[in-house]
Amino acid sequence: MSEMDPCEWCEQVLQPYLDRELDEADEAKVKHHLAACGWCEKRYKFEEDLRILVRRATVEPMEPALKKKLSELRLEL
Amino acid sequence: MQETYARAFRSWQSYTPGTNLRAWLLRILTNLNIDRGRRAQRTPDSQPLEEGDYFLYNRLEAATGETEEERVLERLSQDHVAEALAAVPHDFRDVLVLVDIADFTYAEAAQILDIPIGTVMSRLHRGRRILKQQLAELSVGAS
Repeated sequence: MSEMDPCEWCEQVLQPYLDRELDEADEAKVKHHLAACGWCEKRYKFEEDLRILVRRATVEPMEPALKKKLSELRLEL
Repeated sequence: MQETYARAFRSWQSYTPGTNLRAWLLRILTNLNIDRGRRAQRTPDSQPLEEGDYFLYNRLEAATGETEEERVLERLSQDHVAEALAAVPHDFRDVLVLVDIADFTYAEAAQILDIPIGTVMSRLHRGRRILKQQLAELSVGAS
């Protein structure tokens, strides 16, 4: 790992980093690199923003029938 | 049809803890009989997968000539994102929904879907890749 280009390494761990699945040491390494590398930092930011867009794409008014079903279920809990 | 799926997603988000309920919702998602359309069919293996995870950004940056992240991001429309998401094949999309939208950990997603954690990770990888390939196509055209 230490021989790998840091930008290349960051590209590889982009997803697990955003998923918060990296161990602390690797997470710190990413942060350290991003603080110094605008090129990677932009790409990380982009990926984060993309995830927000994906979430937003799924936020739509719920169908009344489904909503009703869900609220009934909730009462049973 | 895509709309229907989006609505099901919405129900997902509005829900709070309770593993069984989440599993139940997942089943709704899974059982929805979605017309995955022509787009999904020509997706998976037609494009190189060995590109790194920065490829979408790189491509948008090249296409727009912009260097600010905000400007590059503007190239992605919300409609395209929804369309791209709908084009991700089922198995991959379920994992995407669980991890990216519902914020489950890899381990939780594995449990809910009853698949090994390694499978969660590979489907996630693949699903995101397909999503981004779709977006690249929709946003800057096939390269």
